[in-house]
Amino acid sequence: MTRLLNMTRRGFLRTTTGAIPAAAMGQLLSVTSAFAQEERPGPSLIGKLEGPKVVRDESRFPTSFQEAPQLAEQVSSGALPAVAERIGEDPLVIEPLNEIGTFGGILRRGFTGPSDEWNGVRIGGHDTVLAMDYANNEVVPNVARDWEWSDDQRVLTLYLRRGMKWSDGEPLTADDFMFWYEDMYQNEDLTPSPHAHMAINGKPITMEKVDDFTIRYVCPDPYPLLLKLLAGAGVMGYGPAQYGRRAQGGFAPKHYLTQFHPAYVDQAELDKMVEEAGFDNWKGLFLNRIDWAINLDVPAVTAWIPETLANTPTWRLKRNPYSIYVDTEGNQLPYIDEVVMSLAENLEVLNLRAVAGEYDYQSRHIDMGKLPVLLENADQAGYDVKLDPGSYGGDFIIRPNLTFPEDKDPEIAKWLKSVEFRRALSLGIERDQLNETFWLGVGVPGSPIPEPENAYYPGDEYKTRWHEYDPAQANQILDELGLTERDSEGFRMRTDGKGRLRLELMTMTGMFLPFTQIAEVIVNQWRDIGIDVRVDEVERGLGFNRVSGNEQQLWAWSNDTTEALFLAIHALPVSTSPASQNPLFGLWYDSNGEKGIEPPERMQEAMAKYRKGAGVTDEERAKLGKEIWSYLVDDVVAIGVVGQSPALMGVRVSNKKLGNSPARQFNSTLVRTPGGSIPETFFWKS
Amino acid sequence: MVSYLVRRLFMAIVTMVAISVLSFAIIQLPPGDYITTYIAQLAADGTSLSDAEVLALREQYGLDQSFLVQYLRWIASVLHGDFGMSMEWRRPVSELIGERLWLTMAVAVAAILLTWALALPIGIYSAVRRYSVADYAFTIVGFIGLAVPNFLLALALMYFGYKFFGINIGGLFSPAYVDAPWSLARVWDLIKHLPLPAIVLGTAGTAEMIRVMRANLLDELHRPYVKTARARGLDERRVILKYPVRVALNPFVSILAYLFPYIVSGSIIVSLVLGLPTVGPLLLRALLAQDMFLAGAIVLLLGIMTVIGTFLSDMLLLWIDPRIRLEGRS
Repeated sequence: MTRLLNMTRRGFLRTTTGAIPAAAMGQLLSVTSAFAQEERPGPSLIGKLEGPKVVRDESRFPTSFQEAPQLAEQVSSGALPAVAERIGEDPLVIEPLNEIGTFGGILRRGFTGPSDEWNGVRIGGHDTVLAMDYANNEVVPNVARDWEWSDDQRVLTLYLRRGMKWSDGEPLTADDFMFWYEDMYQNEDLTPSPHAHMAINGKPITMEKVDDFTIRYVCPDPYPLLLKLLAGAGVMGYGPAQYGRRAQGGFAPKHYLTQFHPAYVDQAELDKMVEEAGFDNWKGLFLNRIDWAINLDVPAVTAWIPETLANTPTWRLKRNPYSIYVDTEGNQLPYIDEVVMSLAENLEVLNLRAVAGEYDYQSRHIDMGKLPVLLENADQAGYDVKLDPGSYGGDFIIRPNLTFPEDKDPEIAKWLKSVEFRRALSLGIERDQLNETFWLGVGVPGSPIPEPENAYYPGDEYKTRWHEYDPAQANQILDELGLTERDSEGFRMRTDGKGRLRLELMTMTGMFLPFTQIAEVIVNQWRDIGIDVRVDEVERGLGFNRVSGNEQQLWAWSNDTTEALFLAIHALPVSTSPASQNPLFGLWYDSNGEKGIEPPERMQEAMAKYRKGAGVTDEERAKLGKEIWSYLVDDVVAIGVVGQSPALMGVRVSNKKLGNSPARQFNSTLVRTPGGSIPETFFWKS
Repeated sequence: MVSYLVRRLFMAIVTMVAISVLSFAIIQLPPGDYITTYIAQLAADGTSLSDAEVLALREQYGLDQSFLVQYLRWIASVLHGDFGMSMEWRRPVSELIGERLWLTMAVAVAAILLTWALALPIGIYSAVRRYSVADYAFTIVGFIGLAVPNFLLALALMYFGYKFFGINIGGLFSPAYVDAPWSLARVWDLIKHLPLPAIVLGTAGTAEMIRVMRANLLDELHRPYVKTARARGLDERRVILKYPVRVALNPFVSILAYLFPYIVSGSIIVSLVLGLPTVGPLLLRALLAQDMFLAGAIVLLLGIMTVIGTFLSDMLLLWIDPRIRLEGRS
C-alpha cells in the first residue's frame, strides 16, 4: 500500500498536459520537494470564507470622491472631467474586506494566450448586469443599481445608474440594453436561434425601455430565476466583456457598435469595411470589434480596461477613469493601477513562475500537484498559499453512456443502462485511497452532490448512498444480474457468450487533475469485482467528438458548475452540447420529445422538475433540486468519486504584501472567481 | 549544369505543391476542428454552445465546406501573399509568425554557432590525439550529451538557474523588455538570455558532431596523401587542416538541409519547456487547437525551408568536394 501510494504520488506530481516534458518536470519536482515527509499540507491551508461587501444602504454612501494621482493630473490638465462627474450620481459602493487601501502598483499574473480570455475577465472584467455576493448567496447590484419584481414575478424592473459612463465618456443608458436586445439578440446573423435563458416554459421574454435609466423584462409566466441569470449566469447577464464576442451580454455600447451594424449603416459601406478588415462577413467584423480582449477601441464599463491585447505576449489592463466602483470613503477603485498578465508558453512554465513568486495573485492554471513545491518556496518568494475548495461534488466523476447504441453492442448497452450494474461499479471504487493519493486528502469522497451548505443538498445519506466501498455487495449485485461466469483471470464473462465483458473508460488530456492515472487506479480496483475496463486517453476535441457521435461507454469528467443545479447542464443531460452527459437526451428535452432518445421514466420526471424550477420560488426550487439530486444519486446516473477540492483553480498564491486578499474565496464560475473577491479592492501595503 | 539546376528547381516546386496539399490534409486528419476545441475550452470555464451556435460558427470560419474547397480557398489566398487569419489568435497569420521568426532565428543561429565552435576543434583534436586522456574525456562528455534528452537538460538548467542564480523562468526577455520596442538595451537583454537555450539546444548536436568529425577525420588521416604531404615536409597544422579536415567537413555541409527548417521552427520541445516565444510552440498549439491556417502556414514554411536547404547543401557539396560529380558525366 505504501509503495503504491508513493508511486502514485509521484505520478500525481506529473501534470495533466500529458506531454513528455510535463512528466519529466513532475519527476524533477518530486525529487526536490519535501514530499518524502508523510504529513499532509492541505487542510490547514483552507481558511474562512470571506470577501468585500456591496453597500446598499445609501446613508453609508460617500459624499465626496478621491481618485488615483495620475487621473488627478489628467483632471488638472483638463484631459478628464472631475472624478464625481465621471462616476455619476449612483456609484457602486464597496466595503473592502479588511481596510481602505492606497492607490498604485501593478498586479502580476500569468495567462496562456488568446484562448485564455477568461483569465482577464475573471480578474478585471466584471460587467455583469447584476452580480452574486462573494459567498454566492445573494444577488447584489453591479452595472444596474437596483431591481424590483412585480407581485406575480412576471415583470422585473431594472434601474440603471444615472450619469454612469462608458470608458470613452459616453453615457450608458437603457438604449444600450435595447441595442443588445433588438439589434444583437434578435438579429438572426448574430443570434441564429433563440436562447433558452430568454424564455420561460418555452415562451420568449421581452425587454422594454421605460425611460433612459429604467428597463423592464416582461415574462409570459413567473420567472424568478431571471434574477440569477442577470447576476452573471445567463446570456442577458454575462456583460459584454465576457461574451460580447458571442453576441451575448445583455447590453453593449450602442454608440460605438452601430458603425458595424447593417441596421445603421449603408450595406455597401459596411461590405467595404468588412473586406478591408479581412473578414468574410459583417458578423465576423462585428464580433471582432465588440471583443473586449482583442479590440482596444471598444468602450467598456469594467473597472480595468485593456491597454494591450490578449493575443500579444503581455496582456495589460489599466484603470478605467470612468469606473463606477468606489470604496466606503469615496476612493474610486481599483486601487491597483495595472493588471499585467504575461504569456506562459506552457503550464509548466506558468507553475514554475508561480513557485518563483512571479505572480501576485493567481489560482488559474495552478496545478494542485505543485502544492509541496509551492509551500517550500513560499516564504523565500514572498507569497502565501491558500486553498479555495470548490462547492460542487465531482472533481472526478464517471459518466456511463446511457444512450449507448444497441446495434453497436447490445450487451454493453444493456449493462450501461442497468441501474444495478452502475451501482455495483460505484460500490467497487475505494474513494478514500484515491482522495489520499491524488487529492492530498483535501477532497471529499462520495456521490456527485454539492457541499452541505448548498441549497439543493439532499442530505448526508445521499453523499454515501451507493458511493461507499463495498466490494462484497458489488459482487453480490453482479452475480444476481447473471454475470456469474468468470474467465481464468477472474473477470466476468459476457452473457451472450462472446468472451470477457470488457468496457472502455474514456479520459481526456489537458484536465486539471491527472485523470488518466486516477482512472487507472479505479480500473485496478474494479478487478476485485471482476469487471475488466480499459482506460482510453484521448485528446479533448476527439473526446467531445465521440460524445457527439454517441460512441463513448464510460467517460471520466468533472461536474463543476452543478452547485447551481438549475443553471448547469452537467448534472441532468438537458443540453445538446457534448459537454452534457447524453446530448441525445438533451435533444429530447430541448425538442419536447420530438427528437433524440427518450430518457428513462425517472429521468423524465427529474427533467420535468428541472423545467419547473425556473418558474417557482426559491424554497420550492430548493425542494425540487433536492429531489433531482436524490434521483441522480439513487440511480447512479453518474458515478461520483471525489469532489469539493481545490483542484480546479483553487490553489492560490497571493503575495504577502497584497492587502484585502481573502483567506478563502468562493471558487466558482458563478462569481467569476476571483471576481467575487472584487480584486478592484486589492492594494499594495507599504 | 544549367539543365541540372532547372530540373532541380522544377522538382522543388512540385515538392512544395505536394507539401502544401499534404500539410493541409494532415492537419485535417484528426477528427474535430477548431470549433470542437473551442467547445472544450468553454466547457472548462463552465459554459457551453448550443447546436445552432456551433453551426453558425462552422459557417463563419468556412469549416462546413469540403476539404477541397477549404484547400483551394486557402492556397489561393496564400498565393496572393495572404496567409489568412488565425482562428485562435484572431490575428493575421503573417503577423503572428513574423513576430516570432526573428527570435527563433536568433536562438537557432546561436545554437548552431555554439555547436560548430565547440564541435570542430574538439573533433579535430580527438582524432589527432586519439586515445589520449583528453580524447577519452571528450568522448565521455560527448556520449552523455547525446544520451541526455534535451528537454530534461532544459528543465534541470531552468530549475537550478532559478534556484541558484535567480534567473527568470522561461522566455527570452526580462519582464521589463518583453514588449518594449527594439533598442540596444533590449538586444543586450536578449543576448543575456540566449546562452541557456543555446546550451540546451547545442549539446546534443555538439556531441554528435564531435563523433562524426572524429570518425571522418580518422578515416582520412591514414590515407596515402596525408603521408605524402608529411613526407614533403609540410608542417603538421597545414597537413591536417588543409586536406583531411576539408574532406571530413562533408557531413557539416549536408546537414545544412536540416538546419534550414530548424532555423525557422527551433526545437519544439525545448522551446516549449523553456517557454521561448518562438515558432515551435506556436505550431504545436495551432495543431492542438486545429487552427488550420496558422498550422498550415507554418508547416508550409518548414517544407519550403527544407526544400531550399536541400538545394543549397547539394550545391555547396558540389563546390566543396571535388570528388562529387554529376550523374551521367565522367
